[in-house]
Amino acid sequence: MEYVLHVLVMVCIYGILAISFNLLVGFAGLFAMAQAAFYAFGAYATAILTLKLGLPFPLDLLIGVALTGFIGALVAIPAIRISGTYLVVVTLALQVIVIAVATNWKSLTGGTDGLRGVPSLHVFGYALNNPGRFLPAAILALGVCFWIAWRLTNSPFGRALRAMRENESAAEAIGKDLLYMKVAVFAFSAGLAAVAGSLFARYLNYVGAESFGIDETIYMLAMVILGGTGNLWGSLLGAALLVVLPELLKFVTLPTEIADKSHLIIYGVLLIAILRLRPQGLLGERSTMRHLPHVDGASSHGVSMPKPLPKGEVTLEGRDLHRRFGGIVAVAGFDIVLKSGSITGLIGPNGAGKTTAFNLLTGFLSLDAGSISFRGHDITGLKPHDIVRAGVARSFQDLRLFTKMTALENVMVALPDQTGDRVLDVFFRPMKIHREEHENLIRARNVLDFVGLTHKAYETAENLSYAEEKLLVVARLLATGAEVFLFDEPLSGLDRSTLAEIFPIVRKLADNGKTICIIEHNLDVIKELCDVVYFLDEGHAMAIGTPSQLMNDSTLASRYFK
Amino acid sequence: MLKLIGAALTAAFLVTTSAALAAEKPNDPDIIHIGALFAMTGKTSYYGTVMSQGMKQAIDEINANGGVDGIKLEADIEDHKGGVAKDGVDGFTRVRNLYNVQAVMTSFTPPTLAIAPIADEQKIFLINGGGVSNNLVGASKYLFHNRSLASDLGRAAVDHAHDLGLKKMAELAWNSDAGDNIVKTVDEIWKKDGGTVVASEKMDVGAANIDTQIAKIRAGNPDFVALWLFSPDPGLAAKRIRDFGLKVPLIGVEYTADVQKLGGAALEGYEFTSDYFKPSPDEPWSAAFAKGYKERYNADPDFYAANYYEGVYVIAESMKRARAKGGDWYHGDKIAAALREDPTFKSVYGGSMEFQANGVAKKRVALFKVENGDKVFEKYIEAK
Amino acid sequence: MDLFAQLFVNGLINGSHYALLGAGFGLIFATTRIVHFAYGPIFTAAAYAAWFAANVLGLPIAAAMLFAALVAAALGTATYQYLYLPFELRQSSSHVALIASLGLFIVLENLIAIVFGTGGRVVDGYQYDIFLVGPVYFSSVQLGQVIAMIVLTASLGVYLARTRHGKAILATTDNPEMARIIGIDTVKVSRLVFAIGSALSAIPATLILLKDGATPSMGFFAVFIAFVAVIVGGVGSLRGAIAGGLALGMVESLGLWKIPTEWQSSIAFIVLFLVVLLRPQGLFGRAVN
Repeated sequence: MEYVLHVLVMVCIYGILAISFNLLVGFAGLFAMAQAAFYAFGAYATAILTLKLGLPFPLDLLIGVALTGFIGALVAIPAIRISGTYLVVVTLALQVIVIAVATNWKSLTGGTDGLRGVPSLHVFGYALNNPGRFLPAAILALGVCFWIAWRLTNSPFGRALRAMRENESAAEAIGKDLLYMKVAVFAFSAGLAAVAGSLFARYLNYVGAESFGIDETIYMLAMVILGGTGNLWGSLLGAALLVVLPELLKFVTLPTEIADKSHLIIYGVLLIAILRLRPQGLLGERSTMRHLPHVDGASSHGVSMPKPLPKGEVTLEGRDLHRRFGGIVAVAGFDIVLKSGSITGLIGPNGAGKTTAFNLLTGFLSLDAGSISFRGHDITGLKPHDIVRAGVARSFQDLRLFTKMTALENVMVALPDQTGDRVLDVFFRPMKIHREEHENLIRARNVLDFVGLTHKAYETAENLSYAEEKLLVVARLLATGAEVFLFDEPLSGLDRSTLAEIFPIVRKLADNGKTICIIEHNLDVIKELCDVVYFLDEGHAMAIGTPSQLMNDSTLASRYFK
Repeated sequence: MLKLIGAALTAAFLVTTSAALAAEKPNDPDIIHIGALFAMTGKTSYYGTVMSQGMKQAIDEINANGGVDGIKLEADIEDHKGGVAKDGVDGFTRVRNLYNVQAVMTSFTPPTLAIAPIADEQKIFLINGGGVSNNLVGASKYLFHNRSLASDLGRAAVDHAHDLGLKKMAELAWNSDAGDNIVKTVDEIWKKDGGTVVASEKMDVGAANIDTQIAKIRAGNPDFVALWLFSPDPGLAAKRIRDFGLKVPLIGVEYTADVQKLGGAALEGYEFTSDYFKPSPDEPWSAAFAKGYKERYNADPDFYAANYYEGVYVIAESMKRARAKGGDWYHGDKIAAALREDPTFKSVYGGSMEFQANGVAKKRVALFKVENGDKVFEKYIEAK
Repeated sequence: MDLFAQLFVNGLINGSHYALLGAGFGLIFATTRIVHFAYGPIFTAAAYAAWFAANVLGLPIAAAMLFAALVAAALGTATYQYLYLPFELRQSSSHVALIASLGLFIVLENLIAIVFGTGGRVVDGYQYDIFLVGPVYFSSVQLGQVIAMIVLTASLGVYLARTRHGKAILATTDNPEMARIIGIDTVKVSRLVFAIGSALSAIPATLILLKDGATPSMGFFAVFIAFVAVIVGGVGSLRGAIAGGLALGMVESLGLWKIPTEWQSSIAFIVLFLVVLLRPQGLFGRAVN
């Protein structure tokens, strides 16, 4: 039945679109409302290349996908600076502009008349010029697109994407390159949408601007959210539902004047009703690690802690650091030297510039003046993820865990040098990634073992207790493989017994030659843990010494210890 | 093959006979379904409303008079949401499959262009009474138009302006296929005839705001303003032009009830060229149509309603002629062939119209002037 | 030069219209963080309510405007109470509310088209005055658009700054968590902003009815431009929404001085694109992260 076949073809095309959009919205958390513009690029590329240049399949498709992918990558560049509502608006603007250009550039696009006569696809001289013949091609395209998206989202890259979605700064703090990730995911999403566009042009033999307006983007968004963000099957389901539902509603017989409007009203009501029943979408998000075996208990053949490093060497050094915010001086002339194997404490009143100092040392804030070096190499001005890779990692006072991911995933995503973090390798070096994933699983288990969270490995981070969350922060930081750890109040709000669990962990790290720096308010903790203490006030170190030296200093006591 | 599938699905409606008998006895469907693709929802749903009303009135009248040789007609109206290609194809495929439709009434350019190749392939009779783009001509060999092309109406309008001795034209055109087509045709003629174009502005269909365009038109200091706009925007534009203190003549190509409602007094003196439609006592069919329409819908028919009303009669008449030949007559190509064989039909506009080889009906184009809110016939305009 | 003056005044008039729409939408958006897409059809409903009051009930324009504001406030509050609040209570993501809002948009727009028909509606017999000041023309309705913007946004500003309810709204906009802690009933506040924001939209809706007439699909542009004005100006700032709206109107009008008018619908977006790239927090907004 041709009508049913036609509806199925449309399900395939929208399935591809919803999947491609889910990559951005669901997995990467990027609300870019220009998906119909990417769809349009694919369709116009095929129409123009075949009609004006006479290019044969698959050249039009490949060029269209590459071009749209490139444009998608360009859109990612503003997305690095702006997020949330502003990204919505920039991309909305882009969507409107693209359609205006398609409407007004008449010599190229045919304006509002559109381009007609796009040649049908031919397979072995057999024209795919009706729904029945076209459907296999559409299903094949959907299958390929689904596979690409599946591969991408179930790879270490996909895990990193979700981490970025949960918290961008935390993803940077474990060494992920946000620009690279955004460019890659935009390029893939746009490219897949272009596949749908090309199919559209080949199927309808006609391309006009009216098919790619903002309402199409909103329609795709509804599919993704209805189906469930972060679930590819959900997108397929959402697309199928929203394509088929209006067709079914056409069978509700009503008087002509009100029939189609009433169908839309019922459609709107059903949309709301489904959301009321399943506010999180029809299908939930799945773990990225389903395909890996569950490893229970500590592994005997695991990778042990790395070889202890020599102690007492200068690792991280900040010289004459300066930073002001508008008229407020946050850090002024701060010098700090951290050594391997020792634990340095950073104390001082609120607003003394402690966290700002961390932000400067790890590249999260740029310096007004000063320099930072790591093991003699200048790392001033490097991006946070490069500094992590160089060997300096930090935690956040407000934890910033990847709350929707399991404890194990939180750790695994932070492991360094993952081949699967690079999108091309996801497709071209699958075996290597497969091996690595197994090794990394064991490494992640060991890290969890080390902090005593093994029993919570498969628990979602948001379901952990506060103390467990703090442990997971430590574990995630360890997993980065960095040499210098900057902990921002890792112990605040914990009771004595939990502190007693964490102290030996931190000590053990130092004994292994790691360099540790801790921001802390609790003087008992400082006394018990730290070898050296910096007292910070007004943006620079007022005093440096052992805990007991500083606590016996009467001027400091009057300022801080009351 | 596909037709076979379609036929099997609607077997209940079809009389199946062997091919041997076909040459003699007409092979009739139980009901003749006529498909239609209209803008039933969205920004331009005004069109869908009047087109479907005209269509349904014609079908009811024909059925009351015994249908096509006793076979009843039924309308299957699908929504293309104001000219979306995909929705046009959706609707087309649907009526083809569910009702084995052989004749489809279409409107708007993108959906018509998108269904044209399918209609060609499946040999389905198409008739368009609304879309006005030059691009539609020849999109399918089974596509006919009982509406003048926008460019022809525009040409007639500037010819009239020329006759009035006007020199400086300012244009306000829809940023759409219809507007573009007129501007392209008209600018060339106007300049060739020695006129100048002092402003050529575009507005989006149903734009919320056209003050900038009007200000630019006024700054051009034109002798007249040409409105290459369609319902309801000529009303809005006329109003804004008068608001801006511009008192020059307005010349356009459309006037409907909606235009009148939105434009009100500002349209006084507005001249427009249109397919001639004016119900009058000396044109009994026109008068009967207008009276029937008013009774059914409590509104005066505009010429979109008239075109689709007339289109149904064209389809029914062509079907009658095709059926007279007997056999498997119920196919779009047979119906189209019957039309081409004798392309002259009675027109609800009065007199007759003739479908040309390119599928476009040659209709009388007339000049009207708005006086006291009513359109007043001025003269016929001969196509040059 | 005359053209420039006219375009400038046009920009001011349309900008005022956008600013008022933005003020209503922005109040709702900043306080509840709901992308209230259905603001569009509620704006449409207000225009039809005013039409009904003026044409069918025969009320004077001012009374029709008030009637429209009441209808819009009721619709807005009901939307919050019965559509958004249940999602809020279940702590759904704001995206879900957005799609639900879209569903309501479709329902309302088509409902209006069924009830009132698809043709345009104008107030019979209403005729506005035309003024000519120097080389510049404008109508009494357009003057009304500017005055309405000034009076209503000024009143709103005073209300927010001076009254107990207004302060509660500002506190909730600033930090809902904190507002709850200090004992503000944020649900009540949300209901209030939906009522005020929707009622505000009824005034420009009525003026558009008088100026151009009402159509069932007029709401899409209204909510779109309101959203854009708010983002250009900066979320959470009344001054920002006003500036954003005026800026949009000016750009749209003056931008087309030399650029062909077929770019009308996109020129504001080109500016928007640049503004957000160069100044992501909007013209007047505070940087939010």
